[in-house]
Amino acid sequence: MNVEEQIREIVARITHVDKSIITRESTFKEIKADSLDIVQALVAVEETFGIEIPDEDAQKFRNFGDFVSYVENRVAQKETV
Amino acid sequence: MVHNGKIRVAVDAMGGDYAPQEVVKGAVLAAQKDDVEIFLVGPIDVLKRELASCKLRNGTSIHIVEADQVIREDESPVDVIRRKPNCSVAVAARMVKSGQADALVSAGSTGAAAISAIQFMGMVDGVYRPALVGSFGSFAPNTVIVDLGANVDCKPHQYLDFAIAGSVYAKRFLGIADPKIALLSTGSEDTKGNDAVRQAHALLKNSGLNFIGNIEGGDILRGKANVIVCDGFVGNVLLKFYESIGDHAKEWTQHKLRRHPPLRALVGLLFDKLFPSTRIAGESERRGGGILWGVDGVVRIAHGASRAPQIANAIESAKEAVRADIVGTMRSELAKFKQGGK
Repeated sequence: MNVEEQIREIVARITHVDKSIITRESTFKEIKADSLDIVQALVAVEETFGIEIPDEDAQKFRNFGDFVSYVENRVAQKETV
Repeated sequence: MVHNGKIRVAVDAMGGDYAPQEVVKGAVLAAQKDDVEIFLVGPIDVLKRELASCKLRNGTSIHIVEADQVIREDESPVDVIRRKPNCSVAVAARMVKSGQADALVSAGSTGAAAISAIQFMGMVDGVYRPALVGSFGSFAPNTVIVDLGANVDCKPHQYLDFAIAGSVYAKRFLGIADPKIALLSTGSEDTKGNDAVRQAHALLKNSGLNFIGNIEGGDILRGKANVIVCDGFVGNVLLKFYESIGDHAKEWTQHKLRRHPPLRALVGLLFDKLFPSTRIAGESERRGGGILWGVDGVVRIAHGASRAPQIANAIESAKEAVRADIVGTMRSELAKFKQGGK
């Protein structure tokens, strides 16, 4: 499973929505994720990929696609190191 | 669950308007009973000082567990997860998760306790968020309402969780074998209510639960349903309105009867005798009230303004919830529901 699919699974599990409705363009508001859902998703993604996502970075995510791209970059950076 | 004949309760010693003094005193009061072992969670120095000022009888089972962070009232409860994972309520939640304690009691921020429970203890499989359940007491002794305020904005599937939590409450604390479940709405027809309520109606109708349909506000006290399901916004408004009726009716009649002193005194006495039982929270405190239902462990929320006796009562009701195995019952009810049974 690639990074995007893993994050989609995490977000779907936490928000209790069908993962098929989560597209790269979906905003957290559109999938009815509240602040607790978002923080839980961040923590779960950090634990899954062994990265830290500072709040100031997380605040810049406009949609699910931004979240995925950020994590993909961080994972790639980690693998390079 | 029970360790050496004692129920182990982790107490968030730093939560509450009068913490840690009154929380520690309440814990000491509760620890006078032989069936409980208490873990006071908070900064060691502070708790040692507080305990030193209390009279402890020999053999009292009370211990201190270090938590070096405190969540303040002005902080977002969500901060518990990323910024303050070692605050007292989070440490207490992890003690329940790891099996070091059987229950958590907190008089601190309800949001912080709920978020600690969700994040560090987890939910019973299939449940999204915790709910608060309460019984109406005297006016409708066989009726409970869910949610009383834990979830202000609800997704349709949460109403199903509420129905199951309410059913478990009605079975375990009211002795009702097959509770009738109703959805609180603005009319009895399926099409009444807001979007979430209409979608919830469809889910409940096809759930296999003993769902009798929508009821209106006027039906609540008639006992038509044993479990009334609504979102936490409606539930909390209803709770506070219901609890205010007694005092308001007394004031109103006292004013109306001001020119008839003997009758006024008699009616005043009647109100004092009868109306305290309209307090949902007071009634429920003895029977599963203040419990966060749906969490994978017993979490008992005490009022923020609790003094020592209320803290001791909260510890007592947490013990009752452990003994009643509300978590195991909730889990088995959900499993039955998933299989399509009642």
